Amino acid sequence: MLSLITFLPLLGAIVALLMPESATKAIKAWTIGIATATFGVSLYVLSQFKADTFHFQFIEKYKWIPQFGISYFMGVDGIAIWLIALTTFLTVIALIFSTYINKRVRAYFALILFLESAMLGVFVSLDLVLFYTFFEFSLIPMFFLINIWGGERRTYAAFKFFIYTFAGSIFMLVGMVALANLYANVNNGHLSFNLLDLQSAAANGTLWSNAMHLQPFIFWLFALAFLVKCPAFPFHTWLPDAHVEAPTAGSVILAGVLLKMGTYGFLRFCLPLFPEATRQAVVPIMILAVVGIIYGAIVAAVQPDVKKLVAYSSVAHMGFVLLGIFSLTYNGLLGGSMQQLNHGISTGALFLLIGLIYERRHTRQFKDYGGIKSQMPIFATLFLIVMLSSVGLPGLNGFIGEFLAMLGAFEACFNGAYGLNLGFAVVAGFGVVLAAVYLLYMFQQMFYGKNENPENKRLKDLKPWEIAIVCSLVLFAVWGGLYPKTFLAPMEASVQATRLMVVNEPGLRPMWNKATDEIDMAGQSSDKGAFVEVAPRSLSEVGGPVEIKNVIAPANLHMQGGGQVNVKTQTKEHFATRQGETN
Amino acid sequence: MGDFGLIWIVLLLPVVGFLIQSLLGKRIAETAGKRVLGTIAVLPIALGFVVGLLLTQKLAGLSPDARSVVVPGFDWISVMGLRIPFEALVDPLSMTMVLIITGIGSLIHLYATGYMAEEKDYARFFTYLNLFVASMLMLVLGNNLALLFIGWEGVGLCSYLLIGFWYKDLNNSKAANKAFITNRIGDWGLTLGIFGIFALLAGNASQSSIADGRWLSYDTMLPALTKALAANPGMATVIGLLLFVGACGKSAQFPLYLWLPDAMAGPTPVSALIHAATMVTSGVVLLNRMHVVFEYSTVASAVIAGVGAFTALFAALVAFGQTDIKKVLAYSTVSQLGFMFVACGSGAYWAGMFHVTTHAFFKALLFLGSGAVIHAMAHNQDMRNYGGLQKYLKITFITMLTGYIAISGFAIPHVFGFAGYYSKEAIIGSALAGNHAVLGEGASEINVGVISGWVALFTAFLTACYMTRMTWLTFFGPERWRQIPVAVHHEHEEHEHEHSHEHVHHGAHDHGPDVHGFFYTDEEVAAREEHEHAHHELDGSHAPHEVPPSMWVPLALLAVASVFSGYFMEHDEAFYKWLYPNNLPILGEVSVHPHHVDLVMLSAIAAFGGLILGAAVYWKGLPKSEGWDLSKWNPLRKLAGNQFGYDAAMMTLVVEGGDGLGKLLWKGFDAGFVDGIVNGIGLLATSLGKGLRVLQTGLVRGYALLMVLGGLFIMGYFVYALNILGGVR
Repeated sequence: MLSLITFLPLLGAIVALLMPESATKAIKAWTIGIATATFGVSLYVLSQFKADTFHFQFIEKYKWIPQFGISYFMGVDGIAIWLIALTTFLTVIALIFSTYINKRVRAYFALILFLESAMLGVFVSLDLVLFYTFFEFSLIPMFFLINIWGGERRTYAAFKFFIYTFAGSIFMLVGMVALANLYANVNNGHLSFNLLDLQSAAANGTLWSNAMHLQPFIFWLFALAFLVKCPAFPFHTWLPDAHVEAPTAGSVILAGVLLKMGTYGFLRFCLPLFPEATRQAVVPIMILAVVGIIYGAIVAAVQPDVKKLVAYSSVAHMGFVLLGIFSLTYNGLLGGSMQQLNHGISTGALFLLIGLIYERRHTRQFKDYGGIKSQMPIFATLFLIVMLSSVGLPGLNGFIGEFLAMLGAFEACFNGAYGLNLGFAVVAGFGVVLAAVYLLYMFQQMFYGKNENPENKRLKDLKPWEIAIVCSLVLFAVWGGLYPKTFLAPMEASVQATRLMVVNEPGLRPMWNKATDEIDMAGQSSDKGAFVEVAPRSLSEVGGPVEIKNVIAPANLHMQGGGQVNVKTQTKEHFATRQGETN
Repeated sequence: MGDFGLIWIVLLLPVVGFLIQSLLGKRIAETAGKRVLGTIAVLPIALGFVVGLLLTQKLAGLSPDARSVVVPGFDWISVMGLRIPFEALVDPLSMTMVLIITGIGSLIHLYATGYMAEEKDYARFFTYLNLFVASMLMLVLGNNLALLFIGWEGVGLCSYLLIGFWYKDLNNSKAANKAFITNRIGDWGLTLGIFGIFALLAGNASQSSIADGRWLSYDTMLPALTKALAANPGMATVIGLLLFVGACGKSAQFPLYLWLPDAMAGPTPVSALIHAATMVTSGVVLLNRMHVVFEYSTVASAVIAGVGAFTALFAALVAFGQTDIKKVLAYSTVSQLGFMFVACGSGAYWAGMFHVTTHAFFKALLFLGSGAVIHAMAHNQDMRNYGGLQKYLKITFITMLTGYIAISGFAIPHVFGFAGYYSKEAIIGSALAGNHAVLGEGASEINVGVISGWVALFTAFLTACYMTRMTWLTFFGPERWRQIPVAVHHEHEEHEHEHSHEHVHHGAHDHGPDVHGFFYTDEEVAAREEHEHAHHELDGSHAPHEVPPSMWVPLALLAVASVFSGYFMEHDEAFYKWLYPNNLPILGEVSVHPHHVDLVMLSAIAAFGGLILGAAVYWKGLPKSEGWDLSKWNPLRKLAGNQFGYDAAMMTLVVEGGDGLGKLLWKGFDAGFVDGIVNGIGLLATSLGKGLRVLQTGLVRGYALLMVLGGLFIMGYFVYALNILGGVR
C-alpha cells in the first residue's frame, strides 16, 4: 500500500511525459487525476491506521543491497501518517491551482508529481539509505520548479536552495555511514541501515556502549541537515529567496511539506537514535528555536514583499515546532507534531491566496495593493480567516499546536529540565505577540485603506473554483481548531513512544521492533499508587502466540529530567487493572 | 445538572445569528430589507437574555452552596494527561455577566439597527457583533481557563474587526491593529499564567490529583490550586501578576491602556457594547474567577490596587484635555475600570463586579447617548462644535443627563443615590478599610490599598468635574456649529475622478487580453464608481433631529437602570450575598466600611463638589482657553490632552524602533552576514572551478556531478576522521 502511494505519482509523471506537449488539457486532467487518486489511497491508509500502537504499520520490506544491510523498508506510524495525508492533499491543491501555468506544461506537471513521490518516500522510509535517497531526490524537482518557472532571480534562488540543503544533508549521509558502522561493531560486523535495528540497539544501550563520545558528533551531523531544512536560524536564508522566486505551487509545497522533512527528521532519527546527545542538545537547539521565533517575526514585519513576509513567518512558526519537540515533554512533542500540520495548512493556504492575487496583478509588493477588501470581499474574508489561523487564534488550528508546544516548553522550563529556565518560555511566548504584529500589518497593507491603485479597481472577486480550493484548506483550519482530536489521537502513542525513547534510560526505552512493547495510553494519572486501567484493545491487537506483553507507562508524565518508567510484565489474565507506579 | 443544559442555547443563539448574518446576510438585506436583517440580529441576543433570566432564577432557587453547576459538553482537547472539554459553568458570577452581556447587548443591537441604517455593510456589522456576543459568552461561561482564553481572544478579534469596521480610513485599521497587538501583550501574560497553573498543579500531582486530566477546569483546579498555593505562596504572586498582565491588556489598565482611546474609531454601538459595558470588564471577571490566587498574594494585590488607582487618576486627568466626545467617554471608561481594580486589589472582588454592573448601565447609556448626538450632528464628534443641543434632542438630553449623574456618583446621603454612588462607595470603602493590598512587612509596611482609596476618592471628584464639562459643552450654551461656514461643493474632486479614469483606460492595455476573466471592463468599473457619493459635513445650516425610537428606547431603559440598579443591589447586601454567599475562602469577609472615615458623606460631597465646580466653569459654554486656538490652552491641559506624552513616546519607540531593528537585522544580518558567508563560499567554489569550464556552462548535470563528487570526498574524509577519532574500526 505504501509503495503504491509513493510510486503512483511517479508513474503518473512518467505517463504524463509520454503525452504530447500540445495536449495541455489532457496532461493537466491526467496529473490532477493521479494526484487525487493518491490522495484517495492516503485516505484509505488513514482510515485503516490503528491509533493505539506506536509500532509501524503497513510494513513493506524487501532485500535491496543485503551485503551492506540496506533494504527497501517502509512503514508508517502516527507521526508520519498525517504528513502523508498533508502531502497528498496539498499536491492536489497545488496542481489544481497550477492550471494557470502555460509554460512547458508537461514538464511542470510531471515534476510536481515526481516531487510528490519523493516527499512521500521520505515519510514512509524506514531504512536510512532509502530515506536519504528520497530526501535528496526531493531537491531535484523543486530545483527545476524554481529555476524554470520562478521569478526574476530564480537561478540564484534555485542554486542557493539546492546547495544549502544539499550541503546540509551530505553531513547526514556521513552520520548514517558512521551509524551503520557502529552497529556492525556491536553486531558481529553486520552492517545495517535499518532504522528499527539501530533504534533497538540504541534503546538497550548496546549501540553507544563503546562509543558514547561519538554520539554528540553524529547527532549534530544529522541535526545540521534537519536544521537547514526546517529551516532554523541561522540556516534560514535560503528560504525567503526560494519562496519569493518559486511559482505558487512550489511555494505551497515548499512551505507545506518540504520544511516538515526537517522537523520530521528530528522526530524520526535524532530523538530515537541519540537519546543522550538529544538531551544535551536541548539548550542549544532551544536557543536556535527561540531566536528563530523572535528573529523571523521581527524581520517579517519589515518586508515590503508579501511573499517574503510569509516566508520569514515560516521561520518563526517552525521555531515553535522545534520548541515543542525539544522540550521533550509529552505536550510539547505532541504540540510540535500538530504544529507541523497546522503550518502546512495555514501557510500553504496563505501562499495559495497570494498566488491567486499574483496571477491577477503580477506583483507582490505591498505598495501596489491597499484597500482591495472593498474590491474582493470574498478573497478578503478567506485571507482573514487564514491569516488568523496563522496568528494562532483559538478556535482555528494554529492555536492547538502552538498552545500545546508552548505548554510543553513551559513545563520543561518550569521544572528546569535539561538546563532550561523560564526565560525560554517567556521569550518564545512573546513570539505570539509578534506574530500578530506582522500578520495584521500584512492584512492592513493588502486590504485596508482606500482602493486607490487604478489597476486594482478592475479586479473581480475570486472565481467559484478558486473559492472552493481555498475553502477546502479553511475547512481543515476550522476542523483542527474545533475538534483537534481527529488529528491528535493517531499521533499520541507514537509521540509518547518517541519521548520515552529519549527521556528513559537504556533498557527502559520502548523498541519499535519489539512487538510486545506497548504504550499504556490509559495511564493518565500520574498520581502515586493510583490504579491504572489498561484498555483491553491494546492486548487484542497483538494477537497470535504472544502471551506476555510489556506495557510501558508514561514515565513521570510531568516531571521531566531523569524520567523513569516501569516495564511491567503481565499475562492476559491481569490486564484489567494494573498498578502504575511512577515516581 | 441537566436542568441547566439550556445554557447551551444561550451560547448557541448568537453563533447561529453569526452564521446567518455572515452566510445569508447580504442576500437577506437585498431581498427582505435591512429592517428584517436587523431584527434577525437582535433576536438571538434578546432570546438569550430571556433564557438567561430563567436560568438565573433557577440558580437563585438553589441553596447557596449548590449554586455552581458544571454543564458538560464534548471534549475539545483531549490528550494523555490533559483534558479540556467544552463545558459551561453556571454560577452567580457567570450568570451575572450573561445577563449584562445579553441584556445590554440586545439593547445595543436594537440601537445599532437604527444607528447603522445607512450603512452599506449592514450584514458585516451584525456578523461581527453577533460573533462578539458569542465570544463574550464563551469567556464568562466556559468552565476552564482554555475556554476563557478562546473567548478572550475571540472578543479581541471582534474588537479588532469592529474598530476597523470603516476600513477605508487607514487610521481606523491602524487603531484596530493597535488594539489587537496591545491585547496580545496582555494575552502573553495570561497564557504564561495558565501554563504556570498547569505546571504547578501537574508538577505537584501527588498532592493534588486530578484524575481525569481536567487541570484547567475551575471545579477541579480551584480547590487543587488552593492547596498547592498554600504550600507555595511565592507562586501565587508569580501567577497572580501574570494573570493581571492579561487583565491589564483587556481592561485597558496602565501601561497597556493605549489601545482603548484609539478604539473609539469604531462605530459608536461598538464603543458602548465592547469598549464600555462588556469586553473591557473581562479583566475584572478574570480576577473574580481566580480570586484564590490573589487572596494568597498581598504583593500581587497591592500591585493591582496601585495600578488601578494610578490608572483611574491618570485617565481622569487626560479626560480634561479631550475635545472629542467619545474620547472623553473612553478615558472615563479607563478611569472607571481603574476603580474596579482598586476594589479587586483590596480583596473586595464583589465590589469590582458591582461596579462592572452599574458601570455597564450608565456607560452604555452615555455612549449610546453620545452616538445619538453624533448621529444628529452629521457625524462630527468635536464638542467644540456642539452646544445648546438640549433644545433639539430632548430624549437624548434627559437620558444622558441621568447617565451623567449616575457616573458622577450623585446621592442624598442615607436616602437615595444613583447607581454609580453605591458601587463607588463600596470600592473606596473597601480600599480604605482594607489591609490586604500591602507591600513590605512590619515598620516598612506600605498599605497600598488605603492610598488607592484616597486617590480613588479624589478621582471620583474629578469624574464629576469632567463629566459636567462634557454635558455642559454638549447640551448647554450657544449653538456653536452655527458659526461653521457653509461649505461649497468641491470641484477638484471631480477632476481627480476623470484623471483616474484615464489611468484605468491605460491599464487595460498593459497586460494584453484578459484571458482568465480576472478583470472588470472599463464600463463596469465606471458603473461601480458611480455608487460612491459625497458625505454630508456639519456646517452652520445643519438642523439636528432627535433619533428614531429604535435608538431612544434603549436609552430610556438604560436610564431607568442607571437610576435604580445601585440602590437595589446594595440593599441588604443583596449583590454581595449573591456573588459570595460564603465569604472568601482565605480572606473571609472583607469590610467595606472604614471606621475612621465618614465615607457616606465624603463621597457624596466629592460628587456634589465636582458637579458644582464643573457647572460653574462651563456655565457660559466653551471657555476661550479650551477653544480652537490651541495656543491659548493652559499648558497643563495641553499636556493632559496628549496623555502626558506617553502614547507618542511608546508609539515612536515601538513602531520606529521596531522598524529600525527589523531592517537592521534583515539587511545587516540576513543579507549581509549570513548570505555574505554563503555567497563567499559560492564565489570561492566558482573561482576554484574556473579551470573546469565544462562544469560552468550552466548545465545542472555538471553541478550535480560536482556535488556528488564533492560530497563523496567530504564523506570519505569524515569516515576517515571518525576512524582516527576512534570508536569505528
